[in-house]
Amino acid sequence: MAAVPQDFLRVVHSAIGAVCPPVLDPTVARMALTETRPETGALDSTVAAAAPTTIDGVLGTGEHKTIGRVYLGGGVIGLIGALVVGVIAVFMSNNLDNLGADQTDMLANLWSLGRDLALFGGLVPIFVGLAIYLVPLQVGAPSLAFARGAAASLWTWMLGTGLLVLAYVLNGGPGGLRKDSVVLWAAALAMMVGALVWAMICISVTVLGARTQGMTLERVPLTTWAFFVFSLVGVLSLPILMGELLLAFLRIRFLHVPIAESASLTTIMDGQYLAPAVYWLGIPVLGMAVDIIGVHSERPAIYHRSIMAAIGVFGILTYGADIVGLASVRTGGVDFDNGFFVGGMIAVIVPVLVTLVLAGQSLRSGVFRLRTALVGVLLAGLLLLLATTVSLLGLIEPIMRLLDDASPGSVDLSQTLILNGTRFHEGIRALLLGSALLAVIGALHHWATKIWGRQLSEPLGLLSLLATAGGSVVWATGEILAGFDDQPWLPARSTDDFSAGLGALGLVGAVVLAVAAVSLGVNMAISLVSSKPAGSSSSPWSGVTLEWATSSPPPVGNFPAPPIVASATPLLDELMFDGEEPTNEISTEGAAASVTQGDTA
Amino acid sequence: MSTDVSSYDPIPVDVAVAEPTRPRLLLQGTSLASAAIVMGFMGLIAVYVAERAEFLAREERWLPDGVSIPLTQPNFMGLTLCLSVITIWWTVQAVRNDDRGHAFVGYLLSLLFAFAFLAQTAYLLTLMELQILVEPRAVLFFAIIGLHMALMVVAMVFAVVMLFRTLGGEYSSRNYEGVLSAALFWTMTVALYGVLWYAIYITK
Repeated sequence: MAAVPQDFLRVVHSAIGAVCPPVLDPTVARMALTETRPETGALDSTVAAAAPTTIDGVLGTGEHKTIGRVYLGGGVIGLIGALVVGVIAVFMSNNLDNLGADQTDMLANLWSLGRDLALFGGLVPIFVGLAIYLVPLQVGAPSLAFARGAAASLWTWMLGTGLLVLAYVLNGGPGGLRKDSVVLWAAALAMMVGALVWAMICISVTVLGARTQGMTLERVPLTTWAFFVFSLVGVLSLPILMGELLLAFLRIRFLHVPIAESASLTTIMDGQYLAPAVYWLGIPVLGMAVDIIGVHSERPAIYHRSIMAAIGVFGILTYGADIVGLASVRTGGVDFDNGFFVGGMIAVIVPVLVTLVLAGQSLRSGVFRLRTALVGVLLAGLLLLLATTVSLLGLIEPIMRLLDDASPGSVDLSQTLILNGTRFHEGIRALLLGSALLAVIGALHHWATKIWGRQLSEPLGLLSLLATAGGSVVWATGEILAGFDDQPWLPARSTDDFSAGLGALGLVGAVVLAVAAVSLGVNMAISLVSSKPAGSSSSPWSGVTLEWATSSPPPVGNFPAPPIVASATPLLDELMFDGEEPTNEISTEGAAASVTQGDTA
Repeated sequence: MSTDVSSYDPIPVDVAVAEPTRPRLLLQGTSLASAAIVMGFMGLIAVYVAERAEFLAREERWLPDGVSIPLTQPNFMGLTLCLSVITIWWTVQAVRNDDRGHAFVGYLLSLLFAFAFLAQTAYLLTLMELQILVEPRAVLFFAIIGLHMALMVVAMVFAVVMLFRTLGGEYSSRNYEGVLSAALFWTMTVALYGVLWYAIYITK
């Protein structure tokens, strides 16, 4: 075969170079972690493409930081949308007497849209975005595993979210009256869930297989561990929901569910939205809380493995709840009389309590500073604990029934507090929503420098925290009291004076919570458009995990060379041994030893 | 305080730090994706079993009138898939031995078996005379059987990609992760057929 003229190759190379600017090393520039590594190359050579700066660059990027940022932004917008829709739904449900038939249908759709968006359009994508951004940095990897797959998941999720909103606008969704739109709702939701599952696989594989040298699984930071558990639970439970949606799609498509009965489809989602299945959102809350408390109190958690175990147990219990909840959907609602279910709901308090107590050790021996990040995760943990504790009230009836089954006639069931099927669960959901949002606000303030290169406004952040905590507690109080008043789930509502008062309380809480989410969005927007203050630090806190061992935001490839760690707190090791003896704790092989640490040192 | 560790360190200081072990990301990703698929599939099977139990509790016949499921085709489909598992793992072994000829033959046989399985499934569906537009229960049958057929197609595409990569020299005895991943996914799909075979074709 004739050799290709070198001149021709040079022309082609220069033409390609004009379109695609050269990156660090042309031989490995486009290589992703999934491709075969050069045997002699280190992980840093598997650098993804250069950081995108244009729209087409963002659209085609495989850079985990860009994907994470877009997921974060999209999730925050989705959450704001969900809360605004939720406020309208609560307002309408407080004025049921004045609603016509069309508006009552619209209320059902708004209520459903609000909860779909809050979970799969808001909080889960935010956590996924944070994980995609932070996990590779915390485990010392140059990129995310299957980074292009994660990019595909991002755009699929975004398309699915758009289609979901469109389906609701076109009178779709469960309770919708247009067949095509209801079919579109099922497909769009399945698309969103599938995309998120795929992103979670990428996150899990990064934790399992892309850790740097010395970073054993038990040394991964607790935030990463929590995201790992969160992802595994999602990967193993959400496909069941997708199966349900596939069946719903086919049944509506082939007219086996009369469109007038499409409201029955709401039961598909009930298993996901009720406690304890929705405790799933608490897994990253716990992990981030421990890490952030440790950094800001300047006393990293000392019971690392115990906390890992507690978070793992919490994950297992929420997984069991997911499965039982989804399976019981077949019976037309969540089956609270299942003994395992009741036991799981009681046991779920233990790991939450253990994690918070162990995290509190840092605070007890360290210092407390009024910072948004610290206060945010503290309040998030407390609200999670409050939600898991208050939800026990819902177990009184099932426990009594179980006792009555065991010994018939021993319990007077007519005197039992019955909360299941009432708005009590909406109250628990409001507390969990508040807990997750508080943790998100705290986390974004903590890692803002790492993500955007500049900090978020502290006063605005503290106001957001206040509004989130206050709003969720007020909303939850209204809903829980409405549950005691035996009011059924939204969108149905009683309309006597007492109910109206509780409804107004719920509405005030929901409005305040929505304002808090909007203020978080505004805070992020202000930070993004403002110029970086002169002399601002790239590492404002004394972080001890690997993400603080590189510049903020990190360069393409994250680290100049693969870091080598010897403990769960590699930067603390370096601080302890610096100047006393040669250290290999976070030695990054030569040039990488000069990792930018900012104030850390 | 500085400690002299050279006296007892068995590794000379001038020896380069060992490279981290190969991440095997594709294999891990395939395992997790397979686990997710198994959960989704088993969820559908659980729905099938629950709905069937409801019908039987009402003393109604589960299979619609005029619908029958012959056993010959499902049994031979299972047999075909079992043979394909042998050939797909033969491929893995061949790549481990740097025997690209046998790997090629193994892949082709596996794909042939899979194609035969799909053809038999399509034939079985025509024999069953289950009409999705008329019978609500048919949705469950078609969802489960159709999903499994789709998974088989994905497994075939995965295998074809790995076949080309193997023939291109990307996989060898030093690195056969992709081939192993394709075989794992293939085996998972066949195992799911075992569940389907028992839950739908045997118990009817």
